Amino acid sequence: MESKVLEMLVPMALKGLATTIGVFAVTLLVSIPLSIAVAKLRMSKNKIISSLTGAYIYVMRGTPLLLQLMFIFFGFYYVPYIGYAFSRQQAIFIAFILNYTAYFAEIFRGGINSIDAGQYEASEVLGLGKSHTFMKIILPQVIKNVMPSIGNEVITLVKDTSLVYILGASDILKAAKSVSNAYAAFSPYIYIGIVYLLITAVLTKILNKIESKYNYYR
Amino acid sequence: MVLEVENLSKNFGKTTVFKDISFSVDKGEIVCIKGKSGEGKTTLLRCLNNLEIADKGSIKINDLYLCKDENGHIQYAKKSELQNIRQEIGLVFQSFNLFPHMNVMENLLEAPVFLKKMSKENIHKRAAELLKQLELEGKEDSYPYQLSGGQKQRVAIARACMLNPSILCFDEPTSALDETTRMQISKIIRDLSSQGIAIIIVTHDNGFVNEISERVITLSDGSITIG
Repeated sequence: MESKVLEMLVPMALKGLATTIGVFAVTLLVSIPLSIAVAKLRMSKNKIISSLTGAYIYVMRGTPLLLQLMFIFFGFYYVPYIGYAFSRQQAIFIAFILNYTAYFAEIFRGGINSIDAGQYEASEVLGLGKSHTFMKIILPQVIKNVMPSIGNEVITLVKDTSLVYILGASDILKAAKSVSNAYAAFSPYIYIGIVYLLITAVLTKILNKIESKYNYYR
Repeated sequence: MVLEVENLSKNFGKTTVFKDISFSVDKGEIVCIKGKSGEGKTTLLRCLNNLEIADKGSIKINDLYLCKDENGHIQYAKKSELQNIRQEIGLVFQSFNLFPHMNVMENLLEAPVFLKKMSKENIHKRAAELLKQLELEGKEDSYPYQLSGGQKQRVAIARACMLNPSILCFDEPTSALDETTRMQISKIIRDLSSQGIAIIIVTHDNGFVNEISERVITLSDGSITIG
């Protein structure tokens, strides 16, 4: 029977893997750069900008991602004036990006705050422009400081992708569920658990590589 | 005169840091600004380098006004002028503030390459020249964390000199140095001054003042004595 389980599971899991990795990659690629901009807005001297950004971060961190997914897919349509029916895929990307941007933004905010004021002053005295100072002097040091925390969130994101089931999307966990139901077997869940572990192992390797790349200075 | 300060005043809220300070510095001159801590020496230096905004008075650097008194209101240089004025005055911070993620050479090249002051070739030539003069040869690829305090300070000096300033300011240059490096730094400062760079040193180290300065400005209770 186990061979039949695998026969059904493998093609479904491969399809599901595309969803899982797709949600993971798009979320990371969009929310990391976006979160640096959000962190800057959060730190803006303009009270309105910083408190609006603060409110956004509060809502995103203060409610479950599952609820956010449901709201954007099912609920946003009913919002007066701006209501719009997002497709399933749109809703998934929007929810994940909004949610992860908020977490990453707080990490970057802490990282930017941890840079000594002397770095900005030295840049200013040398006549380096504001954006050059941020991109070339501040940000590389921030990235070194925040890498461990970012890495944590990246690993969490892999597992959070399974939440897309609530909108009926077919990720690897959904594949396991279908096969488990078809054969009344628990083993598909075990196999899928191993897939998550493998993904995490690869990511851990990559994250460690990036961290050690920044270890050339102290 | 490379630097002319006239009636400069600075307050932090209601506290007066200094009031109506006037002095000037000539080409290649070594001037020490002395005073107890909390007397506003560093604030004065930060005003000269535009890290702090003065409340009143004027600062003229090489015929360019960083700020000017106009009918009792202080007028700061426009952004476009500021960039030129900035390059005339350099600052060596007390804690050096080197860029930790860049090696010595990258620290030196960053500003002149960004500002496109000279051709790439001349920038590299100038860097090599300064590294030699400051006895940092062979340290091009070292990172700041690998350097001693004295070496870091010399890199900071070289970095400031890359822009060929007319004035170089030092904030407490001897605070982190032992006797040998201290002698080395006074020699370097004299060298720079003999090349025509005006040197302004903020310090409370009387021994160092006696050793090096050609003129002493003492700050106390917000005003100065020149002697």
